[in-house]
Formats: sequence, structure tokens, C-alpha cells
Amino acid sequence: MARRRDRLVLAALLTPVTLFLGVFFLVPLLTIAVFSFLTPGLYGGVEWAFYHWNYGRIFGWADGIMEVFEPVYLRILGRSLSFAAVTVLLCLILCYPVAFWVSRLPERWRLVFLFLITLPFFSSLIVRLYAWLLILKPSGLLNEMLLGIGLIGAPLEILYTPTAVVLGMVYVMIPFMFLPLFAAVDNLDRSLIEASYDLGATRFQTFRKVILPQTLPGIVGGSVIVFIPSVGNFIVPDVLGGAKGLMAGNLVEQQFLSARNWPFGAALSMLIMSVVLIVLVTFVTRLRPKEG
Amino acid sequence: MRNPLGWLLLTLFSLLFFAFIYAPLAVIIGYSFNANPINMMIWDGFTLDWYRGLFGFADRTADPNSRALYVESTDQLIAALKNSLIVAAVTTSVSTVLGTATAIALARYRFRLRGFYRGFLLLPMMMPDIVLGIGLLIFFVTLGMKLSLLTIIIGHCTFLTSYVFIIVQARIAGIDPALEEASADLGASEWVTLRKVLLPQLAPGIVGGALLAFVISMDDLVITYFIAGTDSTTLPVFIFGMIRRGVKPEINAIATLLILASVLIAALGLWLRSRKIDK
Repeated sequence: MARRRDRLVLAALLTPVTLFLGVFFLVPLLTIAVFSFLTPGLYGGVEWAFYHWNYGRIFGWADGIMEVFEPVYLRILGRSLSFAAVTVLLCLILCYPVAFWVSRLPERWRLVFLFLITLPFFSSLIVRLYAWLLILKPSGLLNEMLLGIGLIGAPLEILYTPTAVVLGMVYVMIPFMFLPLFAAVDNLDRSLIEASYDLGATRFQTFRKVILPQTLPGIVGGSVIVFIPSVGNFIVPDVLGGAKGLMAGNLVEQQFLSARNWPFGAALSMLIMSVVLIVLVTFVTRLRPKEG
Repeated sequence: MRNPLGWLLLTLFSLLFFAFIYAPLAVIIGYSFNANPINMMIWDGFTLDWYRGLFGFADRTADPNSRALYVESTDQLIAALKNSLIVAAVTTSVSTVLGTATAIALARYRFRLRGFYRGFLLLPMMMPDIVLGIGLLIFFVTLGMKLSLLTIIIGHCTFLTSYVFIIVQARIAGIDPALEEASADLGASEWVTLRKVLLPQLAPGIVGGALLAFVISMDDLVITYFIAGTDSTTLPVFIFGMIRRGVKPEINAIATLLILASVLIAALGLWLRSRKIDK
């Protein structure tokens, strides 16, 4: 009898979430998949007929009449991947030493700096991006300062370039990289490092053979958490990037809100989704066994 | 540390890192008091005009063109803030209940689909915002649902349930089930055990999850951008629109107020946590 009651309670706990996520999460994802194979209507709607040229436009087969193969889509997709990869790398280079430094501080200061790193997480994303718009503008703070010192003769063109986009993404993603890294660095077994030195290993050897393997889960975790939202990001390139900073997310947004070609937008976002699923499956499943 | 010079360099690097994080915020706060209306990056004296304009107290005798802008955007701003608060409050309640129930089910019951649910609950959090946003947009439009606050709330609940689940799950992992077993042995029903034994111990995790959900819901831009109707704009979407139309000094004032609010919320979170440790 106890077992039957258990099952009732379990069903009561899980039914609402199953229904909710089933209807409002899984079904919308399936709708994207379905739409990516539908025919775009002439005036922005869709026709319920199978159509594979949405993908053909991207990958190189097109009917040549309604849809034309444009290598630009693959190029933008590649650009999104490389921007996201550079963002991950820069976040890693910036955060790793600082995570080390914070973990070695006295308890009091540790808490202060951990608070300082989580604070931007609580403040608005759009506000933090807007700040960089002010700083990077041709008449912005950076140029005024550099011109003032006499370091440059004419304003630098940073805003609306890929540099600005990557800078903005690194800036908003830093907390997501820092926290998993810090958790890994803070759990380092210091006696192993001492032992490595005592046995005559150089600093570099110690780092490569002792510190790096121990912090690898944090590095991989942080990288995945930063990479995924970066690939599909459209806000940062929208605010800070120009035509050369356009990313896959901007393409999707245009298809939905200005070009009104929903099936093509759905096909593009299927690509973003598959990149994400590949990354997740590759890295997360490999890390699992270590968690327990 | 074995190497004092190395430590010094590391300290220097880290302090620069924190300067990099905070300088942009300082720039906004500083320039929100700048009187120069033409180029807001050139300091032209202290003013509170942009704040006054924001609250609808712009000087009536001032330049008529600018006044029109202030009055109009003040109403929209307040409407957007109200929408954001309604969405965040409802979303927080719903996703806290759903996330907590799931965390309890996965931690306290053994069943076949446990592994599946654990992965499934992480997916909405890991899915890029833009994919979830357009998925919901297509879904709502195909069903013929009007885009409104309700659609935004539904959208937020899908991924915030995951966040609450993660936080509560971390807390429940550290709770000894022996107390609940004792309660059951003493004849308490499942419901009483849940309410009187498990939930009080879980409370810090639930509050933490709810706080996180509230903050993320208030700040969500991408998903809301796609599924907000014309009359259901939230604060981040409104600010995004303002920035797209061009940089204006009032944005500095709004941004400063938002930074202030976030500091207060973060401090509240910290205070709640320290209070729990004291107990």
C-alpha cells in the first residue's frame, strides 16, 4: 500500500512540470523543426507544403528560381562559431588567473571579490552593453581620452566592428566563466602542488601535469556555458556590431521580424540548435562520470 | 606563495580585471549627471535634468521639442516597468513551485525515468534564448494566441523552472533523508512530512531559486523581445528600443537607476544568505 501512495505523490509532483514543459518547451521546438520544412508564402505567411530549399539556400542546393544559394549564410554561421570560440578563449585567459588570485586571498577579501564578480550578473544585460556603446563611439570616452593624451591623431573606428562584438560578448559572459572556474580552482589539492615541486618539477610541468587536469572540469564547464549563449547571440552584435559583425542570431531575427520568411528563419535556428546539441552531447556526457 | 614578484603581477592583473568589469558601469553613473545635451561624453557641469525628465518633472518652459519626448516616454517607461514587475512576480511563483516539486521528486523517489528527467530539466536552460524565443513565437501564432503578458509569462516559466530546479536540487542533496524517514515512522502522512520536515529545511534553497528567477525574469530581453505584443513591452525591451532609436541622455539616468536596483537586490540576497548561516 505504501508503494501505491508513493506513486501517487510522485505523479502529483511530476505531472504539472511534465505537462508544462511538454506543451510549452518540446512542442515549440518541434514546431521550429516542422516550419523549417514548410513553403514560405509570398506575403510573409507559410504554405503547408513540404519544401527543402530553406536548407538548400544555406548549403548549396537551390531551385535557382525562388531560392538562390548564397554562400553568405554559411559564412555568417562560421563567423558566429568563431566569434563564440574567441569569446570562450578570451574569457578563459582573463578569468583563470583571477580565479587563482581570489582563491588565495584571506577569507574576508575572498567574499568581497566573489560578491563583486556576481554583482554584474544581477545588473541588466542591456545596460552593460549600452555602457560599451558610450565608451566605443567615435566621439565616445575612449577616443576622447586617447585624443586628449595625444596617443592617436584621429578617432579609432572600434564601434560596429567584429572587435566591438567580441569585446561586448566577453564582457557580458565573464561571470559565467568565472564561477565554474573558481569552483574548480578553489578545490585544488594544494598538497599535490607542493609534492610536485618537491619532486623537482618546474612551474610549467606542475601546471600542465597537476593543476590543469584537476581544474579541467571547471574549464570545460565554463567554456560550454559561455559558448552556447554566444553562438546564438543577437543582442550584442545588434548593439555593438555593424554589417561585418552580423551573426547567425541577427539573421534569424531579421527573418522573423523584418523579412518575414519564417520557414527560412526556422531552418537557420535549427542549425544553431544542432550546434548547441552537438556541443552539449560531446562535453557534458564526457564530464558526467566524474560527477558521480 | 613561493614567488612574491609573481604574486604582485597576479594581483595587478586581477585588479585591472575588476576595473575592466566596473569601469563601464561607473561611466554610465557619472555621465547620467552630465548637463551636456549634445555630446554626452563631454562634461558640461552637474545636472539632475535627465532624472527629472524621467519622472515627468521636466521643466515646462524648456525646449518644447525635448519636452514632448520626455512626457511621452515617461508614461511608456512606467508601463514597461509595471509589466516587468507583473511578469517577474507571476513567473517567479509558478517556476518556483514547478522547479521545487521536480527537485523533490527526483531526490526522494526512485523511478525509471529519473535520468531522463534530470537531463530534460536542464535543456530549457541550455537552449539558446533565440531558439526558444522563435519557437514560442511560431507556436503561439500558429495556435492563434494573442501575444500579451500571458505569453511572456509562459515563455519565462519554461526556462526559469530549470534554474529553480538546479538551485533547489543542490540544496536537497545536502539534506539527510533520515529525518523524513523518522517522521514517516512516527505516523506522519507524506503531506505532513513534506510540509513540516522537508520544506523548512529546503527553504533557503527555495528562496535562493526564487530570487534568481525574479532577477533573470526582470532582465530577460531576447525571449521577451519575440513574444511580447505591442502593448506588453517590458523594461529591457523598452530600453533596447530606446537605444536602437539613438543614444539619449535619459537612457543614462534609467541605466543608473537599474544599476542601483541591482546592487540592492544583490545585497538583499547576500544578507539573506548570511542570516541563514547564523541560524
